[in-house]
Amino acid sequence: MNISSLNLTAIAPQIIIIITALVVLLAELFTGRKSLLAYLSLLGIIVAAIASWYIWNGTEQRLFAVPMFQTMAVADGYSLFLNLVFLVTAALSVLASINYLVRERINHGEYYALLLLATGGMMLMGSATDLMTVFLALEILSISLYVLAGFNRADLKSGESALKYFLLGAFASGFLLYGIALIYGATGTTNLAAIVDFLKGTGPMRGTYLFIGLGLLLVGFSFKIALVPFHMWTPDVYEGAPTSVTAFMSVGAKAAGFAALGRLLLYAFPTLLGDWVWALAVLSVLTMTLGNLTALAQTNVKRMLAYSSIAHAGYILIGLIAANEAGMAGVLFYLLAYAFMNVGAFAVVIAVGREGEPNLELSDYAGLGSRQPLLAAAMAVFMFSLAGVPPLAGFFGKLYIFSAAVQAGFVALAIIGVLNSVVSAFFYLRVIVYMYMQKPIVEARPVLAPPLALAIALAVLGTIGLGLLPTPFLTLAQQSIAMLFGA
Amino acid sequence: MNQLGFPLLSLIIFLPLCGAVVTLFLRKEAVIKWWALIVTVANFFLSLPLYFYFQSGTAEMQFVERIPWMLSLGVSYHLGIDGISLFLVLLTTFLIPVAVLSSWTYITEKVKEYMILMLLMETSMVGVFAALDLILFYVFWEATLIPMYFLIGIWGGERRIYAAVKFFLYTLAGSALMLVAIFVLYFMNAQATGRPTFDLLELQKFSVPLAAQTWLFLAFALGFAIKVPLFPFHTWLPDAHVEAPTAGSVILAGVLLKMGAYGFIRFCLPLFPAAFAYFVPLMSILAIIGIIYGSLVAFSQSDVKSLVAYSSVAHLGFVVLGIFALNAQGLSGGILQMVNHGLSTGALFLLVGMLYERRHTRLIDEFGGLWKQLPLFGIFLLIVTLSSIGLPGLNGFIGEFTILVGTFQANWIYAALAATGIVLGAWYMLTMLRRVMHGPLDKPANRQLQDLSAREIVVLVPVVIFIFLIGLFPNLFFGKMESSVDTLLSQTRATISMGEPNP
Amino acid sequence: MLSDYTFIGIFVVVAIAFPIIALALAFFVRPKKPDAVKSSTYECGLETIGETWVQFRVQYYVYALVFVVFDIETVFLYPWAVAYNKLGLFALVEMFIFLAILVGGLIYAWRKGALEWV
Repeated sequence: MNISSLNLTAIAPQIIIIITALVVLLAELFTGRKSLLAYLSLLGIIVAAIASWYIWNGTEQRLFAVPMFQTMAVADGYSLFLNLVFLVTAALSVLASINYLVRERINHGEYYALLLLATGGMMLMGSATDLMTVFLALEILSISLYVLAGFNRADLKSGESALKYFLLGAFASGFLLYGIALIYGATGTTNLAAIVDFLKGTGPMRGTYLFIGLGLLLVGFSFKIALVPFHMWTPDVYEGAPTSVTAFMSVGAKAAGFAALGRLLLYAFPTLLGDWVWALAVLSVLTMTLGNLTALAQTNVKRMLAYSSIAHAGYILIGLIAANEAGMAGVLFYLLAYAFMNVGAFAVVIAVGREGEPNLELSDYAGLGSRQPLLAAAMAVFMFSLAGVPPLAGFFGKLYIFSAAVQAGFVALAIIGVLNSVVSAFFYLRVIVYMYMQKPIVEARPVLAPPLALAIALAVLGTIGLGLLPTPFLTLAQQSIAMLFGA
Repeated sequence: MNQLGFPLLSLIIFLPLCGAVVTLFLRKEAVIKWWALIVTVANFFLSLPLYFYFQSGTAEMQFVERIPWMLSLGVSYHLGIDGISLFLVLLTTFLIPVAVLSSWTYITEKVKEYMILMLLMETSMVGVFAALDLILFYVFWEATLIPMYFLIGIWGGERRIYAAVKFFLYTLAGSALMLVAIFVLYFMNAQATGRPTFDLLELQKFSVPLAAQTWLFLAFALGFAIKVPLFPFHTWLPDAHVEAPTAGSVILAGVLLKMGAYGFIRFCLPLFPAAFAYFVPLMSILAIIGIIYGSLVAFSQSDVKSLVAYSSVAHLGFVVLGIFALNAQGLSGGILQMVNHGLSTGALFLLVGMLYERRHTRLIDEFGGLWKQLPLFGIFLLIVTLSSIGLPGLNGFIGEFTILVGTFQANWIYAALAATGIVLGAWYMLTMLRRVMHGPLDKPANRQLQDLSAREIVVLVPVVIFIFLIGLFPNLFFGKMESSVDTLLSQTRATISMGEPNP
Repeated sequence: MLSDYTFIGIFVVVAIAFPIIALALAFFVRPKKPDAVKSSTYECGLETIGETWVQFRVQYYVYALVFVVFDIETVFLYPWAVAYNKLGLFALVEMFIFLAILVGGLIYAWRKGALEWV
């Protein structure tokens, strides 16, 4: 064994992020200026993005896969596109956090280190080609998030959030691990490529262990990406966690779960997908419908966004169920769009609040259109995009996913999907109603700190940009998944 | 073909958008108003070459622009107009400056946002009528919702929020299924021909299997029927109209409702001809119910604006009836009646708005004898009312008469029933006119009213000119649409006769 | 004829039986003369003070965590040292990276005051 067989360049983005996390952790000890840590994190994120881009451009065709660490992980188009999603999420969250942490008096340096570690875990999940790596990455990600959820130590709700997240997350990890064990028992390997070979060798024969193992794996992932009925933890955790953390994990953790699930189902177990496709379809319908219906009843914006993020997991799942190239490309595009619009929406939630006054109720948004027109306009863009109104990013995400579902013959699923987006329009519109059509209750003008304003502006830019010029990003997404189906 | 060799349609679509972006940076209210007016008037003049360079002898799409947009999916930025959409584009570019000018003093709050939304409205509406790609069409179609939602919700009346949300959700629900139907159509075509495309002209060549036609037609028709609105999907309309600000009502009645009827002609008819023929009885009966029901409800209204709103339901019933007559007279009458309704109902909303600005009420009982106080206003109201009830020599007559001729050829019972609608229309409109304008001027508040200002006359005169122009020289309009309508119908008939008449 | 599982089975049976037999034998053979000191809780040979149900200082846990850092280090270092000759330069570099990360953890704990008994 030698160093070159590890292919360190291929894993460079992940390494850069992890090293940055450690550097930030140590730098915190020797500096009093916490904002320095944030900018250090941003630097790391940008360098990691450049590294991803460099790997992407390093080969002539995009049909490549650079295995590393003896096929424990891989750098291919799929993982690199997901790196983009995770890095965007992380960068926007860091920008949104800087002044929020000061305001809430929880400005501890570990925050950025944990956030970066979680990002590293997410990126590893996107590139994992071994069930052990999947599990390892998931734990790096989850443990960092458990701590982040409880980061506001003085706040009981934050503590509750962390504990709930930890207990249910550990429970889910148990399912996942048991599933992995059963799959190992059935196939004799945890490596995805070896599993593919094994399944080719056995032909149509499917062991009971494999079947149950995959089922348990699905349950584990369902917990992680909050599919109904495994979603019960989500609203409390999202509501209790500091808002900047909620923004980060509602997008990042979900995207990471879908990343690993997508590779597992479409690359390793395409034959078994048939056995589970109806179960997944039921999960998707339940998730969309319950998420949206419950969100209708919310008056707390943060909680409403929590339920809406459950519903969005349902939409994205449709793309996986379609199990074709269009569907998976749609999933990737949707995740990128979702990163911009959802983190953006949470950033606005941060901006509207003040210290000790979270200002999370709908009525706190009354008259925002006249109190702070730019902020309200940004929120309106995010809400319309989440509702799937053209020509914004969210619309094209849904367009691709639903069209893939129709292509794969799941017309009913597509119909339920579009009907759900109509239902969801109602509660997204309600925020806009409050902002523009109600008289302000308080006259206070939310103060926008420059980094937060930058985060919101970038998110708006992304949401509109992906809507007006979806082609380059969709092409990118289509090229990225070629590996998944090429094998 | 593009006879100009120049992307005129894109220019018409995106000039208002650019105007809206510039408006963002303007500060003074007066400057903003003038700027919006200049942009929209300029856009109207920019759209006039569409009429003059339009070639009547061909059914081909004209002023075509085509750029690939999402290549891998087969979505293209494909614009073009024919005799069917020409007048709807012109109607849009004509009504927007009128609407802008009519809100000069009516809108006092958030003028900047208001004008930006008006300009965005124009962009998306022209886009709907010019788009020849299903996805592009859908994008513009949905994009019209956002500005209208804000126009109603921010500058509307008492129950504006309820009306705005209802408007948004109804229309969104209607078009949601259309999106799925578009996908189904796309993949059917891709499987059959191997060329994935959302291009309308390509998809028209593909004959959809009969069994699928029914479902696809219904999915498309639901979206269009809600927009028109066809009975029983009309309940959002009175709310939206009554609560919307004057200019909002003008645009809603003048252009937005036409998008539904236009959708039937442009998409349902050529794409699903057999299903279209199959559903003629159902749709015609719904249209007739709409005509009679709308008229009766209009008569019982105490608010002038909701009276006009319900009269819209009746008038649009005529349009749908004409379209589903499936012959040249019915179809071209339907198209012309769309323009007529845009003009006369638009003008009615303008007049009601002017009255409301003066008296801050729209209850018919609050008025009476206004003729003595407001003679100029009275003259305009008289002309517009007569146009709306179809007096020969004015535009409404031409449209309704042609539709009835077409319907009579198709089914005389439908024509007879629809004709009662004309009588009812005359009845409620004239009653309204009598109660508002005639009789003694016995309300003291009415004695203070000022007659129309110069600006208001400038708003109304162009509309009235067109009311007369269409009434006296209908062939200026029919001539341009003739070959498009004939070709559409002959293609449809050929397809229907090839397959079985009933799916 | 014995399969691998049979060996495990025998092992399990012996493992369970051995302590039971040993304890049972002791129970029957030993003299029984209890007194106050003998019945008290055994705590490193010292006399017990106060309740056993007390809260521990948080430092105990912090210490435990720091201990884990060195524990892992040893667990990993030992096999590394055994196989060092086969691994070559690569393993040396790898181990230094590993140690650097652990030192980072130690520095963090040190600066945060985890090593001070307050």
